[in-house]
Amino acid sequence: MRTAILLLLAAGLPGQALAADQVALANSVFVERVTTDAAGKQRVSLEEPKVVTPGDRLVFVLDYRNASARPAERFVVTNPLPDAISFTDAASSPLVSVDGGRNWGLLADLTVALPDGSRRAAQPADVTHIRWAFQKPIPAGGGGKLMFRGVVK
Amino acid sequence: MVKAPVGGAQRPLRTPFPYSLVLLAALAVPMQAQAAGTRAGSTISNTATASFDNGGGPQTIDSNKVDLRVDELLDVTVDSSDPGDVVTTPGATEQRLTFSVTNNGNGEEAFVLGTVANGGGDDYDPAVTQIYIDNGDGVFDAGTDTLYTPGANEPLLDPDESVIVFVLATTPGTVSDGHRGIVSLTAAAKTGTGAPGTSFAGLGEGGGDAVVGSTGADGQDAGAFKVSSATVALVKVATVADPFGGSEPVPGATITYAITATVNGSGSVNGLAITDTVPADTSYVAGSIRLGGTALSDAADGDAGDYDGTRVHVALGAVAGGETRTVTFQTKIN
Repeated sequence: MRTAILLLLAAGLPGQALAADQVALANSVFVERVTTDAAGKQRVSLEEPKVVTPGDRLVFVLDYRNASARPAERFVVTNPLPDAISFTDAASSPLVSVDGGRNWGLLADLTVALPDGSRRAAQPADVTHIRWAFQKPIPAGGGGKLMFRGVVK
Repeated sequence: MVKAPVGGAQRPLRTPFPYSLVLLAALAVPMQAQAAGTRAGSTISNTATASFDNGGGPQTIDSNKVDLRVDELLDVTVDSSDPGDVVTTPGATEQRLTFSVTNNGNGEEAFVLGTVANGGGDDYDPAVTQIYIDNGDGVFDAGTDTLYTPGANEPLLDPDESVIVFVLATTPGTVSDGHRGIVSLTAAAKTGTGAPGTSFAGLGEGGGDAVVGSTGADGQDAGAFKVSSATVALVKVATVADPFGGSEPVPGATITYAITATVNGSGSVNGLAITDTVPADTSYVAGSIRLGGTALSDAADGDAGDYDGTRVHVALGAVAGGETRTVTFQTKIN
């Protein structure tokens, strides 16, 4: 149900038209609004926001498509996180960087230096960049979606 | 750490991806109060890039850019700064409670202050006389702090900024020892208050909307006074000793007066003094004044007692509730 809502929204994106003969990446952002109906049941809706306020939970969707005639090899999608967004999670386990894009790894494998010289395990809020590095080429005509979530700081 | 392996181990997600699972997980995250956060009026821009090689060498493309404007969130909290009940006494004026008001929103905002003294849950209603806005030193001083006048000088706070507010009140004269009187300070965003999510179009900092946050843009906290008073009871006892070993009040008999002051209550009395005029037809026995077991001189000097020719006077000073003081002196029947 919810998937259907999101996909409908995604399909109705005003995002740029995918170039007919190119590899393209479309970026869209939705805000999750939690409302409680008369029966006290919580409902989550995804809206395309023009404005947000701190604490809003955002869903970032990256829509990639290889509209060229040849497979796209070594396909890597990178999204630097806006400063005002605190990363929370992603639908798959992308590579992340917690140091501005210098080093990359799974979040669970990364650490952050503390002022006293020791290191602690990296937390979602430490993430500065997110990256998906595809193992297989994107075939001609192929595509898909990538997704991650964050909160407006 | 590893360098990003191009064409590495990551397996990308294919549609349809498990949104319902993700959303359920989101619901399990407790809602928490947000610190001031991203400044109202700023823009959040997101752009992703893709790099690939489809036969013509490595290429990089940018996605479209999504811009989101950050609206002003209206949030405020009020906290009582007093460590406990503030002690007061019946009829006392300019009794002071201290609060802090914090702008938890993300834009500069003015806050309307108010007090509630009749909210119940206490024994009496303090009479609030003034609200003062601290000048930043945290210490009340009517000369340097600002008297709050509604509509004229609402404190204007930056995001995350706090201000100390003093509430002055008079304690009614009719209250009794141990009574509590509660005063709540309220602070409301001048732009507007309401249910979280209520939006005020165009009134946010930077020209966007102002949206009521989780606090309702309306905060309050309670402080309390506690009355601490004391009462004094005096009991005077005369004991006669005649020259013959009896207790007849005959000429030459010595009368010993014992005046006991008993202080009751949780407070204390200040400047307590006992004065007793030596009765007619009796003569004061020189050097007979005693406070408890201690002899006091007749001269008006460093000790607490004196006899000036007509009356005995003992200054007891501050005496706390639950304590007693006994003054004795002697006279001789003429």
